[in-house]
Amino acid sequence: MSQMATRQWMTTHEWMVKPMHQREWIERRGIMIWIAETFTSLGAGLYLVSLFINSWWGLLVGWLIIMFLKLPLHIAYFGKPLRFYRTLPPFSNAWKTSWFARGILFSVFFGTFGFVQLVFGQPDLANLIGNSIANPIYYTFGVLAGISAVGVGIYGGFIMNYVKGIPFWNQGLLPVVFILAGVADGFGLAMAVGLAGGDASVSWAETGSSYLLIINVLLIIVYLISARYTSEVAKISVKELLTGPSAFMFWGGLVTLGMVVPAAISVVSLFSGEIPTVLLIIAIVAHTLGAFALKYCLLKEGIYRPLLPRVAAY
Amino acid sequence: MRWGMVINLKKCTRCHACIAACRIEHFLPMGMNWPRLIAWETDVPGEELTTIPVRCNQCKDAPCVEVCPAEATKKREDGIVYVDNDICVGCRYCIIACPYQNRTFLSRDKDPGYFPGYERTRFEKAGRKIYPHVVGTTEKCDFCMERIDAGLAKGLVPGKDREATPACVNTCQSRALTFGDLDDPESEVSKLIKEQNAFQLHPEYGTDPAVYYIDGKIGNAPSNIAPREEQTASHIQHLSTMEERAKQIFGKK
Repeated sequence: MSQMATRQWMTTHEWMVKPMHQREWIERRGIMIWIAETFTSLGAGLYLVSLFINSWWGLLVGWLIIMFLKLPLHIAYFGKPLRFYRTLPPFSNAWKTSWFARGILFSVFFGTFGFVQLVFGQPDLANLIGNSIANPIYYTFGVLAGISAVGVGIYGGFIMNYVKGIPFWNQGLLPVVFILAGVADGFGLAMAVGLAGGDASVSWAETGSSYLLIINVLLIIVYLISARYTSEVAKISVKELLTGPSAFMFWGGLVTLGMVVPAAISVVSLFSGEIPTVLLIIAIVAHTLGAFALKYCLLKEGIYRPLLPRVAAY
Repeated sequence: MRWGMVINLKKCTRCHACIAACRIEHFLPMGMNWPRLIAWETDVPGEELTTIPVRCNQCKDAPCVEVCPAEATKKREDGIVYVDNDICVGCRYCIIACPYQNRTFLSRDKDPGYFPGYERTRFEKAGRKIYPHVVGTTEKCDFCMERIDAGLAKGLVPGKDREATPACVNTCQSRALTFGDLDDPESEVSKLIKEQNAFQLHPEYGTDPAVYYIDGKIGNAPSNIAPREEQTASHIQHLSTMEERAKQIFGKK
């Protein structure tokens, strides 16, 4: 019998014998995790950037993304969505060991603190009750919401980084990639808020976006190089990312849309001084699609080390 | 006390009886597997495959216990890790975090009933009363903890008395599976581990699995490999039900 026939015959039994992709968080309903993770990045990033540039509209959009896009998607992914309360104290004290539980707590804190900040930052209300009362509350809850937003933006990185069986994720740099990519996405969306007539400075956001873009490009290069030398399986992940089935998402989505297009538009602005609105919109859309591509690449290339030791150990 | 298992790969005949016994014992849904036999291709021509029984390793430092956001995965004092399906929210982080991939999410399509399109049989209905198998939650091997608990209550010794021993161990016709207390140096499992240099899968993860394997040659030339023609009839029969291609191959023979 030919070797080929043997291979086909064994297909169902090759589970965890060779490097195997994780599927739960990227295929079928797992797509919700991918989208929710991207919204996490966009929402938390926008909130942090908006805190920095003091944009109430940016804060509002960031808060809405987390509360009405990210959280519902995460909960909808659960096999038992109505039991989501069981992840929170006092029903569970898992936050002591689980980054997942910590992430849910961060999201709850963020929702609460962010809401109070938004209420007291609302110009009409602030005028009504007086700035001397509204401002201290606004800034106090701004700090709390900001800390929670950092937690929301970074916990996904720790969740994945904890998985010992997937060497591509099991890298110390992953949480840093998550939070910095989130801030870069936040600058992109802040431009959109400014363009839509909000109180965010478009030029400021555009400058911030350019700097973060450079940092993120370097970070991703370092991450891939570091992963490549971690283990044979992580090397397979990197190889698949660069030349395998995920290459389209990596080169087309992450590199071209997420990096090259915004960078090219930044260069145009450097020489021309002012960027046409159309180009800005293209940059924002490309940047956001790049955010989706980054999370897709990371989730898709989560490959487990085989269960059995071999001579050429993975 | 910490329950553990030693799997002697030299004795395993790949009959799949342990898989069947578990399925019967726990009334497992159609698409659910607690223990598995995984096939491993070797580089030796003519010796195409070996089969390794795997199941939840009941790790001492279990990642699944640590990551569960709802504390639905719990570890007992005797080391058994189990899932409380009344609490599990189905986030599947435990499945992702398990480096041995020994957990399965019970989705609706994995539970079509043994006769899809028809009402569940009386046997299936009775089974669901004992093991509800909640769709939307995660499941895994629990070393037949109900048998152990019931046996201990009767003063029996798990690993020695059949009534207190996991179903897969009881059914293993070649006695490749041994069950017992890892903390007792006089137990059979402890002696096997010591005398035959039993090893754990991926000890470098620091999880300290309670399932050990005996086979000095694994990783190089496993000792339980055999040409396909010499495999037991039940094995062939099982495989032939798994894939259309297998049916074609064995059909020709």
